[in-house]
Amino acid sequence: MYRSLRALSRTSRISRRWSSTQANPPPAGGHLPSIATSAFLKPTRDVSLRTPGLRWVDPVDTDPAHDMVGRETRKMNMYQAVRDALSIALSKDDTAVVFGEDVAFGGVFRCTMGLAEEFGRERIFNTPLTEQGIAGFGIGLASMGHTAIAEIQFADYIFPAFDQIVNEAAKFRFRSGGNYNAGKLTIRCPSMAVGHGALYHSQSPEGFFMGAAGVKIVIPRSPIQAKGLLLSAIRDPNPVIFMEPKILYRSSVEQVPIDDYELPLGKAEVLTRGNDLTLVSWGTPVYHCETALKMLSHPPQSIAEHVPASLRSAKVELIDLRTVLPWDVDTVIESVKRTGRLVVVHEASRTGGVGAEIGAEIQKQCFLKLNAPVKLVTGWDTPVPMVYEKFYVPDAIRILDAMMETMTY
Amino acid sequence: MFRPTRFPPSLRQLTVARTSRGVASVTPKLPEYPHGNLPSSQSPITSTMHFFNSVMDSGKQIPTYRIIDGAGQPIEGAEVPELDRDFARNMYENMAQLPIIDDVLYNLQRQGRISFYITAYGEEAAVIGSAAALAPDDEVLAQYREAGVLLYRGFGIESLINQCYGTSLDSCTKGKQMPVHYSSKELHFHTISSPLATQIPQAAGVGFALKRDPSRRGKNCAVTYFGDGAASEGDFHAGMLLASTIPSPTLFIARNNGFAISTPSTEQYYGDGIAARGAGYGVHTIRVDGNDVLAVYSAVKEARRRCIEEGRAVLVETMTYRVGHHSTSDDSFAYRPRKEVEERKRLDNPLVRFRLFLELRGWWSKEEDDALKARIKADVHAAYKKAEALPRPPLSEMFTDVYGGEQPWNLRAQEKELKGLVRKYGRSWEPWKAELKKFKGEGKEWFD
Repeated sequence: MYRSLRALSRTSRISRRWSSTQANPPPAGGHLPSIATSAFLKPTRDVSLRTPGLRWVDPVDTDPAHDMVGRETRKMNMYQAVRDALSIALSKDDTAVVFGEDVAFGGVFRCTMGLAEEFGRERIFNTPLTEQGIAGFGIGLASMGHTAIAEIQFADYIFPAFDQIVNEAAKFRFRSGGNYNAGKLTIRCPSMAVGHGALYHSQSPEGFFMGAAGVKIVIPRSPIQAKGLLLSAIRDPNPVIFMEPKILYRSSVEQVPIDDYELPLGKAEVLTRGNDLTLVSWGTPVYHCETALKMLSHPPQSIAEHVPASLRSAKVELIDLRTVLPWDVDTVIESVKRTGRLVVVHEASRTGGVGAEIGAEIQKQCFLKLNAPVKLVTGWDTPVPMVYEKFYVPDAIRILDAMMETMTY
Repeated sequence: MFRPTRFPPSLRQLTVARTSRGVASVTPKLPEYPHGNLPSSQSPITSTMHFFNSVMDSGKQIPTYRIIDGAGQPIEGAEVPELDRDFARNMYENMAQLPIIDDVLYNLQRQGRISFYITAYGEEAAVIGSAAALAPDDEVLAQYREAGVLLYRGFGIESLINQCYGTSLDSCTKGKQMPVHYSSKELHFHTISSPLATQIPQAAGVGFALKRDPSRRGKNCAVTYFGDGAASEGDFHAGMLLASTIPSPTLFIARNNGFAISTPSTEQYYGDGIAARGAGYGVHTIRVDGNDVLAVYSAVKEARRRCIEEGRAVLVETMTYRVGHHSTSDDSFAYRPRKEVEERKRLDNPLVRFRLFLELRGWWSKEEDDALKARIKADVHAAYKKAEALPRPPLSEMFTDVYGGEQPWNLRAQEKELKGLVRKYGRSWEPWKAELKKFKGEGKEWFD
């Protein structure tokens, strides 16, 4: 939409510097994890191939344990993983097309680099600058049974397409008694804060779609996740909004299996096990949560006085929700029933956000097991502000404070 | 567009840089054409300051294509399309059935037997003339006043009425949408939805899919119908833009009937109708007399041919008059005089015009007309009586088709919750008790 801000793709590398995960000086207990050094990113082939829930689309062996033999991985960042997924989807499905603003030359975030050369301009093409048009066009393709992979340049600009998504795509199947559906539509859009995106290059609009029964909303946290979840989204029989946290495009790097695989939609992933507190998040804040967990067990000198010794050995269960609609209630309930405490972290503002929905459901289903109120750590109820971003995003210190407050309630 | 003929020295350098495409080794030289073109157009440069406000020469409007006059006679210079007797009669019979079906269903709504209805009075020629010019498997994305297209394709009065009643035989929506929101996959008629103009960019996508499908490329086009009011939506702009820029065989048929509910077209746009916009998108465009079925048929047939041959968008604006109220929820005499409507019906009735044309050729007679009307009336009455005796679909259908594949947990839980409540109160709470009787199986699937 605002082409001058294409530069974001190039500057997002720099913006890592401003990420809260690297905010603190190295403490005595060792360096805090940053996105680049996150333990959740798989640095080697073997770890990568053992990604939980990974399902090969072309199995070579019926025994999943043997199916890893001969599988290869390649080091990719998230935009490369997205591009890899698109390439696989396009090569296996002749009806698949990729379109949006500026996708033909490779996209402002490079997610479609080289696809036009590989698959031709008939399948990878620019559209005029009209988000409602892009969504409508995709619905039309999908209703003809073609695979439509649309890109909205920033999630912030998805709102002109809100009518097409909520009134049309989401309700297509229901309203025609199953005659027609828009299930083969996937809308990709970069989302979440990037360090300097301000109001219209930072938003996390997933909450606005929570009431749009009929669509799914998926948000990956890493290259492996992005590829597997995107392939599932493209092949899911429902329209899916796939929100890619743009700060992770370059900063998250891991070994990604090069073959065709899927990760399940509607399933959360438990990243760390624990019995004292459940921490639920998705997208970028997953890494802030990781930093906060490290700060809890090994507080940096500068804030050590705020972290009671009794809490430092607490075992926190961190869950990456991955699919926001429909979210994985079973995994969260099972966890909260064990821990009795829940903190939900998301970048979008609080009121009417996804956290409120999760909090209400957990309160309903785990009432007798809860030992503390459900705590939400979210963006404030303001637009995402430019120079104040560091005080807006739910960073590690806010998550740490929320965990301590919940555990000492 | 005004541009100076001579570039000021400061700009000259810039122009040179553009023509040399940034290759450093090329010696800069002045442009070959003294005035040069601008990078984003082939527009010739002029020294005359000239504003304009229409695609036509000032003072004139885009003409309206007509073949037969009010007496059914070809107008001077008009070329009557080749039609055989059966084809022409079939078109007329389809046109003639619309007001009869509309009369009955409109009255059923007035009696509270169906909840809502929209008539197509006055637009019979625009709808049937265009339907006749399409292939039966062209993909149609309609607004809501085009039931005639479905009927022309053999949908049948019964199916129409089943949708309006939301019966267990409603194949369009399973009782989920308001009346007149038809759909039929077999007849290539996409689901009608209430939000206006949303179907227009969707049609561009459908057109593109047709072009990509080797078995349908060069054979079919997407067709989208919309009113003059809907053309004010951003989606109209998007759809025209997409189908012209990403070449897609998409036929845009605007029904300009003068009103969007109470808003006259003078308050809808200031330009020369919808047709004037077509040229702005680089789209072949024609305006046609929407009360002249032969003109609509000819224009749409040619439009369709161009659309498929060139694989690009074509726009047809049919000029009609909405004789009926907007819908059953509207009394149009609140904003327009009854006399005007009566005069329109009398002076320029698309049905009368075509009937006179047929009678002049000896292809139709008063007796046949009476017999046709009596037969259709009988068919409609039989169909609605049948529909009234039918139950609604099973209550459990309420939760189906939200998602494809596995039903998400929240829907499963909510279905279970309602099921429990229906079990608990369904036999005692009067509003539910009475309502349950109307569903197929009376909700028994939830009581067991």
